[in-house]
Amino acid sequence: MSARLDPRLAASTAADADLVAMLTELFEDYRTERPAPREVVDLDPDLWQQLDQLGLTRLTAPESSGGSGASWFDGAALLGLAAAAGAPAPLLEHGFLAAWLLDEAGLPNDGALRTVCRPDPAGTALNVTYGRDASGVVTLFEDGEQWRVADVPAGRATIRQGRNLAGEPCDTVEFDLDDLSAGALVTSEVGEQFHLRGALARSAQVCGGLERIVQVVVAHVREREQFGRPIGRFQAVQRLVADIAAEASLARAATDTAVARAAASDWADPGLLFAVGVAKSCTGHAASVVVRNAHQALGAIGTTLEHELHVLTKPVLARRSEFGSIHEWDETLTRLATSAGHERLWSLITTGRAGPHH
Amino acid sequence: MTLTLMPPVVSEGPALTELRLQVRAFLDEQIADGRFVSHVDTWLTRWDRDFTRELGRRGWLGMTIPPEYGGHGRTFLERFVVTEELLVVGAPVAAQWIADRQIGPSLLRYGTQEQKQAYLPGIARGEVVFGIGMSEPDSGSDLASVRTRGERVEGGWRVTGTKVWTSGAHEADAFFALARTAPLDPAHRHEGLSQFIVDLHAPGIEIRPIISMGGDHHFNEVHLGGVFIPDDRVLGEVGEGWRQVTSELGYERSGPERFLSTYQLLAEAASAMGEGRLPQDVGLGRQVARVAALHQLSFAVSTALEAHADADTAAAVVKVLGTSTEGDIADYVDMLTATGWVEDEDLYRLLHAAIIQRPGFTLRGGTNEILRGVIARGLGLR
Ligand SMILES: Cc1cc2nc3c(=O)[nH]c(=O)nc-3n(C[C@H](O)[C@H](O)[C@H](O)COP(=O)(O)OP(=O)(O)OC[C@H]3O[C@@H](n4cnc5c(N)ncnc54)[C@H](O)[C@@H]3O)c2cc1C
Repeated sequence: MSARLDPRLAASTAADADLVAMLTELFEDYRTERPAPREVVDLDPDLWQQLDQLGLTRLTAPESSGGSGASWFDGAALLGLAAAAGAPAPLLEHGFLAAWLLDEAGLPNDGALRTVCRPDPAGTALNVTYGRDASGVVTLFEDGEQWRVADVPAGRATIRQGRNLAGEPCDTVEFDLDDLSAGALVTSEVGEQFHLRGALARSAQVCGGLERIVQVVVAHVREREQFGRPIGRFQAVQRLVADIAAEASLARAATDTAVARAAASDWADPGLLFAVGVAKSCTGHAASVVVRNAHQALGAIGTTLEHELHVLTKPVLARRSEFGSIHEWDETLTRLATSAGHERLWSLITTGRAGPHH
Repeated sequence: MTLTLMPPVVSEGPALTELRLQVRAFLDEQIADGRFVSHVDTWLTRWDRDFTRELGRRGWLGMTIPPEYGGHGRTFLERFVVTEELLVVGAPVAAQWIADRQIGPSLLRYGTQEQKQAYLPGIARGEVVFGIGMSEPDSGSDLASVRTRGERVEGGWRVTGTKVWTSGAHEADAFFALARTAPLDPAHRHEGLSQFIVDLHAPGIEIRPIISMGGDHHFNEVHLGGVFIPDDRVLGEVGEGWRQVTSELGYERSGPERFLSTYQLLAEAASAMGEGRLPQDVGLGRQVARVAALHQLSFAVSTALEAHADADTAAAVVKVLGTSTEGDIADYVDMLTATGWVEDEDLYRLLHAAIIQRPGFTLRGGTNEILRGVIARGLGLR
């Protein structure tokens, strides 16, 4: 038996190692030097500039439109590591969705900070993260039967400021309907993919957050002593920790699988709806266990403003519900499973598609 | 910094998918011909020697055994997809399971040339059925405390003791018995243990059934009344039993049987919900998602094992998550059904078997409490 694996049997799906090493160092530095946690989180302009100079703010956008042309493997690594550092940066909004929509619509992109949203028929969009910070808002608008993408300058929209559970900027934006209907036409696939891309990118962020939480918990229970020994020696505490490590691992496997499908097919794989659903479901349910057990293991100190834990747990909970609640995604998976039925469920599970009836 | 607990997920290449489809086509035929009735937990409870021999003829047993010992020299990943396909259709695979999963690899690693020649070809043909002789009445989780003892005699060992929970001993030809061959040293409890290859038809062996709570007979008590074991049926080194048994358990923990024991019930529930025989409920999607992610995680661990990476902690993670999920599926479907609900025969049959089998899922092969300790150790907590 050789240590090398026949590539026809299994293809590794890891991100570019040099990039990951660079990102790891960058965000470790950020995490150790960032200001003490506050109850609100605001865009860090210095960090954003640094990320921009490194070509990270539009990492997965094609080079032809000013992006870095990296794969979604690399993209998911960026989102996860940034989330693990609690870095307040609209990477998903600006780099993964706005840049992609502009490119699909054939609209120019000057690289200035943008956020993204899907306004309702009245022209209002809720929960627009970093809306106040953007120079423009890229909108995906369902205009009757057609989908349109517009790049609306911030000055042309009314922004009502809000905050999400994590204390991040999360605004209500009202548009002039004329601005939305003047947008460039895109195909309906773009409309569908927007939801999938957003959901998977959020899962990648949640995974990064969960993994950092496990690290924080492991470090704490090895150090904190009660009854004359580290609390991690108590079996009850070990159980809390083992279970969150397991749930975080399952979430990671589900998310990386969907990322691999997306990367291998450039988002054309029809099995992606299922794969993204699995990622959303597993990360969402993992978040329940991880947040609960992490707080339990940390004791009172973990509930304070000065502690790192809430910098991680609050975004995890805020993000898991975006681009479809956990319930909605479980519903989607249920629908796919029931229409596959007994005979085709396994094909659905292994390929994302039920395939033809026998 | 990410968690390095688990190996990265990998995509299944086209050669494996091709193999999957070959096995699937064969199984579809077998089902169409009425060769077996799908069931839950078949890898522990359904013996069918003819079916097992047919798999042997097709080259789907002893896949990782080299050709010089009658095997097929294929990878653990190829074995992985074959076993997954067998499990999801609920095929009767108990006769081959233990031999194919752990006995073959252990013999390859620790067996003598003669032992390999004696057993491996039969395992690959599906003709030799093995059991596991580890647990005893007073030694469950604390396996190092086994009291079965081997005494040195002319030309071999005289082995005396009682093994229990021996799955399929009444169907098996042989098992590996873990026994104490040197007095217990409380400071070094893992020393002085050895493994014997025991012919279950030998004089001095008594096998008594233990009936499970559902009324069926899958495990047994095996009494070894001073059974003579010749020197050439010692596995590996005398005194090295603990290390050998631990590596054997490694093969046991992360395979697809650790999350697919109730797969037939999940699949039937999907049909039932689609046809309105069960109420619409999003919990189904959640369970399907977990099974899909476990399929990836288990494959990732197999890939790591194939590359000879250390995967003890990762295997424990798969087993804790997988056995919990397969049990939760039974409970989940149960909560969707009403008492006295009997008209739906297939679902009812699978559900009741799954509920009865469930407690064993998180016990056998090392309990989930013990495995959480393994994970905690992997995380540096102990
Ligand atoms: C279906 C089935 C098939 C089996 N087949 C075989 C077989 O073929 N061959 C064989 O040798 N054995 C077999 N076993 C036995 C199996 O390996 C044991 O059941 C298992 O090792 C646990 O031992 P026990 O049942 O004696 O429980 P115990 O060890 O008594 O444990 C009882 C409870 O206490 C907990 N516990 C024990 N010690 C600790 C600790 N240190 N920390 C925390 N919790 C602890 C356990 O987790 C469990 O919840 C089978 C078991 C089942 C259920």
